[in-house]
Amino acid sequence: MSEKSTPVRGVTRRQVLTSGAAAVVLTASGRASAVTIDGTPQWRPFDHNAADAVDPSQDWQFFTAEEAATVEAITERLIPADELSISGREAGCAIFIDRQLAGFFGTSERLYMQGPFVNGTPEQGDQSALIPRQRYRVGLAALDDYCRRQHQARFAELPGESQDEVLSGLERGEVPLEGIEAKEFFSLVHQNTMEGFFADPVYGGNRDMVSWRMIGFPGARYDYRDYIEKHNQKLDFEPLSIAGRSGWRTQG
Amino acid sequence: MKRTLLTLSAVGLALYASLGAVLAHAQGATEYDQVEKGRYLSTLGDCAACHTAPGGKPFAGGVAINTPFGKLVAPNITPDDETGLGKWTFDDFQRVMSEGRGPGGYHLYGAMPYTAYTKVSEEDNRAIWTYLQTLDPVDHLVVANQLPFPFNQRFTLWGWNLLNFDKGEFEPNPEKSAEWNRGAYLVEGLGHCGTCHTPKNLIGGDKSSQFLEGSVVDDWYAPDITADPHKGIGAWSEQDLVDYLSTGKNRFDIASGPMAEEVEHSSQYWNEDDLRAVATYLKDGRNADAQAPTPLAAEDPRMVSGGEIYADRCAGCHTPNGAGVEGLFPRLADTALVNGDSAASLMRVVLAGSRAGATDAAPTAPSMPAFAWNLSDEEISNVLTFVRNTWGNAAAPVSPSDVAEMRETLEQH
Repeated sequence: MSEKSTPVRGVTRRQVLTSGAAAVVLTASGRASAVTIDGTPQWRPFDHNAADAVDPSQDWQFFTAEEAATVEAITERLIPADELSISGREAGCAIFIDRQLAGFFGTSERLYMQGPFVNGTPEQGDQSALIPRQRYRVGLAALDDYCRRQHQARFAELPGESQDEVLSGLERGEVPLEGIEAKEFFSLVHQNTMEGFFADPVYGGNRDMVSWRMIGFPGARYDYRDYIEKHNQKLDFEPLSIAGRSGWRTQG
Repeated sequence: MKRTLLTLSAVGLALYASLGAVLAHAQGATEYDQVEKGRYLSTLGDCAACHTAPGGKPFAGGVAINTPFGKLVAPNITPDDETGLGKWTFDDFQRVMSEGRGPGGYHLYGAMPYTAYTKVSEEDNRAIWTYLQTLDPVDHLVVANQLPFPFNQRFTLWGWNLLNFDKGEFEPNPEKSAEWNRGAYLVEGLGHCGTCHTPKNLIGGDKSSQFLEGSVVDDWYAPDITADPHKGIGAWSEQDLVDYLSTGKNRFDIASGPMAEEVEHSSQYWNEDDLRAVATYLKDGRNADAQAPTPLAAEDPRMVSGGEIYADRCAGCHTPNGAGVEGLFPRLADTALVNGDSAASLMRVVLAGSRAGATDAAPTAPSMPAFAWNLSDEEISNVLTFVRNTWGNAAAPVSPSDVAEMRETLEQH
């Protein structure tokens, strides 16, 4: 947190020295733990590396009921229902985000999360010391605080127009949030909402492959040999999820 | 004079010594041939499949065999005095092979395929015994009989033998060729093909009238290998059979499961003549005139659903028309294994995946991914029903409860 508010751009001499010392210590004590495979790679029965399918009927896994209501309200405004599709909320974007936060994404498990934390350039990507769970927890609380101060109501209780105003303010960095930068918070929720809308339905969003139908994406197929000669024809693929599609069901 | 005598006797001694060496050498050569013959025969019989534990010392025992009655563990057959066959004589070994009885007359369990080995000639048994004597003795105690009561009572096997055991060396059929008879001797004897491929009665004995018509072993289906053109090897050429046994693959199939082990440990090392003999004999088997059943209608809802699943999940490798890719992805169209009476292997391979066998001639060992995580029991039953009744195949549909049962069994392993 304190590192984030340091007004220094770039890296100071002291930081170079301390991180250099840390690097020396790491080199001395760290052991490489790369995996070496000899001969034929191992094969195990039932082996697979996909996430288990999300059950949308389950309770929230990470959000509190209040947080979930706020996120649902945000996704309703970011992707409103229109003639093209149902809304982001209806497509399950909040469920997608909730399950992602409950999983390894939520803890930045696969990222380097030791210091030093400094403001990098945009090209250097995400430099925040907060893991996504903290960003949502802190950001959602701060957002409701802001709305109570400005509008005497929680974000989810505001009329759509006011919600849009607040969201636009967040996007421009004009709405001050306690504990997290508004732009950083907004861009994360915005990105995760799009991911939830377009990701495979097994992850909780994109209900009934609604976004895929909208854009004509055929889904997780890998064999087009039967169609490769069919030039300039509309194929009308029903999209295919990792979990299958309705055509798989035994009819009658 | 004295010197002459001495010289002469020295020459004589030298002559005698060299004659002895020649004799010893001749004897050594005979013994060498006998050991090598025994080594080859023990490979034909795939003794190591049960008597060598994975990663263990050769023939020191320890492989557990799961029978419907309980667990039996293959004993140590190295010449160790305390824990192996060190104190046995050839007659003891001959009796095991021929009668299924150990020294002192105790009965062996049928997991030791003496019902097949009884056909092995005494001459061949002698070679195997000679070879076994050359193994390093390994001190490894194996408790063979781990069956629950009452199956652990060996005297009950007396009655079992009465019902299931036809003792006696192989007798050639004079009306058939020497090659045919060699094939019969191998298939019915050391090869003990029927141990897996012949249906079993309630007490685990072979149903001799259904010899090689297919049976479920360890949740795999050992398919029908009679000359039935629909579900047996009738549509395979002799070359197909030789290819399969010697490399693990042919234009239809790639060996998987226990048959992959058989090919890896045994038949890839059989000599060409023996493989041809086996092919000649099997091609002349029963059921060559068997009629294929009528396939399920393509409009059947299970077939429609199965076809959709096949297109989305299977066609990428097995190709849209089920032709597969030779040597990589087994053919499903018009293929005997798919038409088998039991779909056990098919269900198993779709649920848990499988890796094919690797031989010196075909070392790739391609593997099939598991679908247990993303296909339901009903989806698997539908896709298998579709595969079993399309492209010239015809076989009983697979039910979701069959798949559920197999899923549960495999996940317990």
